Amino acid sequence: MNRRKFIGLSLTGGLIACNSDGPDAAQKLLKIAERQNEKLERGVLFQHTSMDRVRKHAVKAGKKFPVYHISKEVPVWDPRVRGVWRLEVSGAVARPLSLTLDDLMKFKRTTQRVNHYCVEGWTAVAEWSGVRLSEIAKAASITADADYVDFRSFDSDYHESWDIESALHRQTIIAYGMDGRLLGPDHGAPARLHSPIKLGYKSTKYLTRIVFMPRRNGGYWSDRGYEWYAGV
Amino acid sequence: MKRHHWVIRLTHWINTIALIIMVGSGLRIFNAYPAFAPRGGTFCCYPFEGVPVPAWLTFGGWLAGARQWHFAMMWILVVNGLVYLGMKARLRVRRVDDVRRKYNRGQRIVYFLMPVFGIILVLSGLAIWKPVQLSLLTSAFGGYVWARYWHFSAMIVLVVLSIGHVFMATVVEPRSLKAMITGS
Repeated sequence: MNRRKFIGLSLTGGLIACNSDGPDAAQKLLKIAERQNEKLERGVLFQHTSMDRVRKHAVKAGKKFPVYHISKEVPVWDPRVRGVWRLEVSGAVARPLSLTLDDLMKFKRTTQRVNHYCVEGWTAVAEWSGVRLSEIAKAASITADADYVDFRSFDSDYHESWDIESALHRQTIIAYGMDGRLLGPDHGAPARLHSPIKLGYKSTKYLTRIVFMPRRNGGYWSDRGYEWYAGV
Repeated sequence: MKRHHWVIRLTHWINTIALIIMVGSGLRIFNAYPAFAPRGGTFCCYPFEGVPVPAWLTFGGWLAGARQWHFAMMWILVVNGLVYLGMKARLRVRRVDDVRRKYNRGQRIVYFLMPVFGIILVLSGLAIWKPVQLSLLTSAFGGYVWARYWHFSAMIVLVVLSIGHVFMATVVEPRSLKAMITGS
């Protein structure tokens, strides 16, 4: 092969990569791979005992913690328009709950300094305060068929559903405090889901409803091509 | 006798395709946050923080597409790589494969380093795929941020070695390219 052929071959290699999303026929195979990965993640890798630990010298993101929502404006709960904010807990439960922020604060408080793993590749450390979801599940006494949980919001139609194991993990909390202050509208006030064991988009902000379910029902980003399981 | 066993030839070319897709989709994933600093922090050792790589080098179209490709192709890469290394070891033990006669010193170093960096890539990749579930592995790389950095750096090294390898096999010693296709 001469130099010209070499260059030609290199260009072909480049063209394969060339900013395309690949052949359509591959999409089915990619879906299969995602399902197999999920089986491995749920069946083998997930442990109730594996915890996220922030490294000793890690700095808190503070004001640099990215602000994210899908609505055009920052979603703000206005009690004059919508009435008192309440978190409804329903579905596969024996005792449905309707909790005000005060009610939520009466639960045993958990404060944890953890990472936030964004699907984009960045991480941000913050100290979150709130209630373990397992506490709320206990209070609502979830039934045996509660295999999934959906977390819904007032940020447009944003929601994400979770497997029950990850939802009941010790580090999965309903947070109303961030870095020692009450949660602000930028980060999901009055309360949001937060967990370091799944990618950031799974942690629904601006919560309104927690629905325990026998089946999963996707989510905002997981319906748009991102992994549904998204464990880290 | 054939210069390259058919299993070696087959796995070599599967590896070529898998690697191109892994690098392309990996760069698309990287472009979603082309930096290493944690939010609110800094990173010492990357001069191009915040600068995306050119889009034409990427594969997968958008972040979700690139992630799907990356997390599917990784299995082909790993299984294929294990078959390759297993076959290589078998040929070596049976003394079919005499690398000292086949390659000069420079080639032997490069061909030794490529799978070494491949293994570093796989391990650092697992470390950033599951930093909580595989936290011991992630810690071994110095935490998530550093594991991501090693994953990126090892990719750069492997790409440079591969470009050198392609140049050697096509321009300097064109017969070796034919040998990797037909075997003789």
